[in-house]
Amino acid sequence: MTPLLEIKNLKTRFFTSEGVVKAVNNVSYSMESGEILGVVGESGCGKSVHALSIMQLVQDPPGKITNGEVWLDGKDLLTFSEKEMKKIRGSDVAMIFQDPMTSLNPVFTVGFQIVEALRLHNDMTKAEARERAGELLALVGIPGAEQRLDDYPHQFSGGMRQRAMIAMGLSCEPKLLIADEPTTALDVTIQAQIVDLVKKLQDDLGMAIMWITHDLGVIAEMADRINVMYAGAIIESGNVRNIYKKTRHPYTMGLLGSLPRLDEDPGAELLSVPGLPPDLLALPKGCAFAARCGYRTEKCLEEKPPLEEIDGREHAVACWHWEEIAGSK
Amino acid sequence: MAEITPEEITVTDFAVREHRSLWVDAWRRLISSNTARLGMFIVAFFLLSTTFAHFFWEYEPKKDLNYSLKLKPPTLIPNEEVPSVHPFGTDKLGRDIFRRVVHGGWNSLRVGIVAVSISLFFGGLTGLFTGFYENIDTTHIEKLFLFGLTGLVLGSLSAWIAAQPIQAIFFAILGVIAAYFKDFQKGKALRMVVFAIAGALIGAILGAFVSSAVALISLIWGAITGALLSRPLEGKFFSNVMMRLMDIILSFPGYLLAIAIVAFLGPGLEKGMIAIGVVGIPVYARLTRSAVLSVSQKEYILAAQSVGEGHGRIIFRHITPNILSPIIVQTTMGLAGAILSAAALGFLGLGAIPPEPEWGSMLGDSYRYLTSGAWWAVLFPGLAIMFSVLGFNLLGDGLRDALDPKLRT
Repeated sequence: MTPLLEIKNLKTRFFTSEGVVKAVNNVSYSMESGEILGVVGESGCGKSVHALSIMQLVQDPPGKITNGEVWLDGKDLLTFSEKEMKKIRGSDVAMIFQDPMTSLNPVFTVGFQIVEALRLHNDMTKAEARERAGELLALVGIPGAEQRLDDYPHQFSGGMRQRAMIAMGLSCEPKLLIADEPTTALDVTIQAQIVDLVKKLQDDLGMAIMWITHDLGVIAEMADRINVMYAGAIIESGNVRNIYKKTRHPYTMGLLGSLPRLDEDPGAELLSVPGLPPDLLALPKGCAFAARCGYRTEKCLEEKPPLEEIDGREHAVACWHWEEIAGSK
Repeated sequence: MAEITPEEITVTDFAVREHRSLWVDAWRRLISSNTARLGMFIVAFFLLSTTFAHFFWEYEPKKDLNYSLKLKPPTLIPNEEVPSVHPFGTDKLGRDIFRRVVHGGWNSLRVGIVAVSISLFFGGLTGLFTGFYENIDTTHIEKLFLFGLTGLVLGSLSAWIAAQPIQAIFFAILGVIAAYFKDFQKGKALRMVVFAIAGALIGAILGAFVSSAVALISLIWGAITGALLSRPLEGKFFSNVMMRLMDIILSFPGYLLAIAIVAFLGPGLEKGMIAIGVVGIPVYARLTRSAVLSVSQKEYILAAQSVGEGHGRIIFRHITPNILSPIIVQTTMGLAGAILSAAALGFLGLGAIPPEPEWGSMLGDSYRYLTSGAWWAVLFPGLAIMFSVLGFNLLGDGLRDALDPKLRT
């Protein structure tokens, strides 16, 4: 069976006046249909840019996808023209954005915007589309959905707007839904609601979801597999169990260590990864994480570690010393 | 007491919320402001009275002449000296000033409105396209369009020098050809040479029909245009060409440029409209462009792209409504400015051709008689200009407060 999404050696660069920003470096992975993939990493590690690259929505200029292949359902998206991409966006891949406050157009009603997305890809009359939009809003749990269609975005709360965005994303029943930090701008209770909603929708509709976040807690709860990204590359990937219980990369260990735990002494200081992520304008020759790593050796500074498979698709890590780290634990 | 069962509960009025759009909200804010209401009243008064006068109160300026009533002061009750009613008095040819002010308003306001429409249309489109294509990957058809437009704009300079509009069209075609063969000798010097020669030929051959000097200028400019068009044209280049052109227009003092254009086209109301309109284009282009640049960075534009909407739809459906408020305000204020400019041109004798009434030319006709005490001949057209400008300015202020409450001081 071919995977739903397969990315091979994706490279995205931003050509700025200060130099070339290497935002995504040789990212390769695959996703099965119906799978939930979590993508984690700190700010500026290329999570969002690689998702935008899949949709070919990287701002050009200054951005450019310089290398790689993106296979979706047997089609290489990077060879598609803008016109062909227009048909793919929204119908095969849909995207939900981080800030629900600005991702709905303030001058149109919520209903109008969902109807527009529906009619763009389906042969529907206005009345049919409106009815479907009402169903979608009800599906994402907005009370009085029929009446709320005529509301403007400013009459919605943040959580409701994110639900409306999800309804828009789902409107054409995409095979892949990319959620770019959909809960970051929301408070914790609303976050939990949105996570539950997406899980429920995924059970009902069975699409694949790529959930981009820096919240490891949310990911642990919902994802099947996780990609940990650092400086534009995947440094550890695998199923949730392996990532959380058999962590092999020192960066992932640092990330997990920085989470507060309920079973720990509440007064204990949280761990943090020392230092700052490397400048994407000038990446080091060796491992990008070496400068902040406690396991660093000469080899780390000289050579870039490849993404090495420990357990087939279930666990892979890009570190020279993963075996020692495994032994030390 | 009657028992209430759940079935009986219906949603009452206060549970159904009103769906208020931004525009309805803005309208409510507008009519709640006293100054805005005053402005609206003045504007409506001028527009209605001049329109009605034009259609229902006949006036033939060419036949209006009566030397026996020359420069009579305002008369409300007819007497031996002045047998008819002249509320604003009469001018040097014995014409009723009231009548001429009312009919002159039709001309003055028309110049203002048409001139602002010209500026708004061309400036607005320029701003929309330059702002949007500044940071976006263009498709092949858009490249054809942008190249053609750039060719047209660049070619219009030599077309203007040669007084030969056909040149601009040929350069536009050259632009389209350059976009169509965008892979021909890509990135090599040969491409630039080929297109520069093509441009030079177009300029030289067409220019030769006019004179040899023009042919030489057209040849040089054609070669430059061809070389520019051979570049890999991105939206950014198009935006640069257009905005530098706007800068050129803006670098002339407004009135001076308008006078120059009228001098070039010849006097007359229509020419005045074009002159004032052209001078106003950069203002609207810059305003629109800046608004588009900020709106297109918003996430809802990315969201619109991510559901598969095309560029044209995004420009006109999603961006345009979001940038309307500053443009509406500028248009209203601009009307006041255009009326003033029209009056200035009229005063200098470059607007309406006499005896056609127009506020500015009425002032220009009568200011000489101020020293002989005929204050009424100048006062009333002046007041008309003042009040109409005041009305549009008050309305513009009110609109700004209503459309953008954040700016209110």
